[in-house]
Amino acid sequence: MIRKATPSPGRLLVVDDNKVNRLLLGRGLEQQGHTVAFAENGKQALEMVRSQTFDIILLDIQMPEMDGYQVLEQFTEDIHLRDIPVIMTTAMEELDSVVKCIELGAEDYLTKPVNPVLLRARVNASLEKKRLRDQQRELVKKFATAEVAEDLEESGFALGGKYIQATAMFSDIRGFTTITESQSPGDTIDLLNTYYTLMFEAISGHGGVVNQMVGDGLMAIFGAPLPLENREEQAVRAALEMMEMIELFNIDQVAQGKAPIRIGVGIASGQMIAGYTGTIRRATYTCVGDAVNQAARLEAHTKVVGQPILIDEATRQKLSSAIQVEEQGVVQLKGKTQEIKFFVVPVNQ
Amino acid sequence: MAAVIDPNTVEELKTTLGADFVNELIDTYCAETPGLLDQLHLALSQNDAESFRRAAHSMKSSSASLGALEFSAQARELEFLGKSGDISGADEKVAGLNTAYVQVARALRALVTYP
Repeated sequence: MIRKATPSPGRLLVVDDNKVNRLLLGRGLEQQGHTVAFAENGKQALEMVRSQTFDIILLDIQMPEMDGYQVLEQFTEDIHLRDIPVIMTTAMEELDSVVKCIELGAEDYLTKPVNPVLLRARVNASLEKKRLRDQQRELVKKFATAEVAEDLEESGFALGGKYIQATAMFSDIRGFTTITESQSPGDTIDLLNTYYTLMFEAISGHGGVVNQMVGDGLMAIFGAPLPLENREEQAVRAALEMMEMIELFNIDQVAQGKAPIRIGVGIASGQMIAGYTGTIRRATYTCVGDAVNQAARLEAHTKVVGQPILIDEATRQKLSSAIQVEEQGVVQLKGKTQEIKFFVVPVNQ
Repeated sequence: MAAVIDPNTVEELKTTLGADFVNELIDTYCAETPGLLDQLHLALSQNDAESFRRAAHSMKSSSASLGALEFSAQARELEFLGKSGDISGADEKVAGLNTAYVQVARALRALVTYP
């Protein structure tokens, strides 16, 4: 990513009860290209930050009405204000107070009279940090996982595809349609949310990334976008933990007089094409290819053989002896004549 | 005795921020400071140490910015007095600050440059 030495100008708020100080700071900042607004005390500043957008606040400590500490406290409590950097402007002998301000969440400080060179440096550093944070937040909004967001940030938002080696996992709830028919819509959404929470935990706990959720089904990738050691075994261990989670969840369900649920998991490894698909506003990390199709096919096949975890041969070959596997048979891929060998991973091992 | 106004400070301000702006700054300072001196007097008469401290603090800060270093030091002394909570013997120092301000204002006005 290209970093600019000087960030583009920002919208700044100068808070000081002394007009000479406000003018001086404001002038210095305007000369550096920033847009500056002013507040005479903490109360006025809070009203302004709640109704307008600012990139940085330059805040005096000693003020009537509401002082700098009180403003900082309000900032920490307000989720919308928490991320706006605050630079304290203070007298040299108030350094003790600065420590308190930093503890309250202030990002930096400047001593008055403010040196223009320091002013430029501190404001630019804070602006840069703020922009990075904003960018990250945008990324997290757009993409399902932090890993994906990180990968994108590092690759400079390349949406193009590439061949990768990875392990794909598909999972869904057995007989979900019957379950939805027997309970209220609210219960169904609750059930899905609990299910996703449990599955996410098991998958990400083993280094996997959930990249698709549709209805009661989900797809996860192990080994991409970031490399993962022993991805095949990690995927199988995640599947085993998912089963344990479901068992615990079922104890709860039954206790509440609700139906237990069962899930099926298919895992396959090999080459796939990975990339970001969607639009620049909303993109998903997607993997397509034979290994992905095989994982989906194996997941569907769990119903046929009545075993909850099925894996392909490429996955089985990489497993350590710590994991028990039973050879089962072959299954034909949908729309293909090719048959794939599959294995059962017994639950409760 | 040190100059009422440090000439370097004002020169530097003129160079970095522009002479017009410094004129405006001096005008503002001279318009605002009497009000702060009033606040100081009022706080003294009401024995309100907190308000006293705040007024002194504010003057200390803006005066230093304009190079009124001696005046700023005097204001600082009063600020500390206010901080201690006991402003009972401050009459003389407040009067001294008043006198000093008259000199500061005069010296600053002399530095206003007209195009």
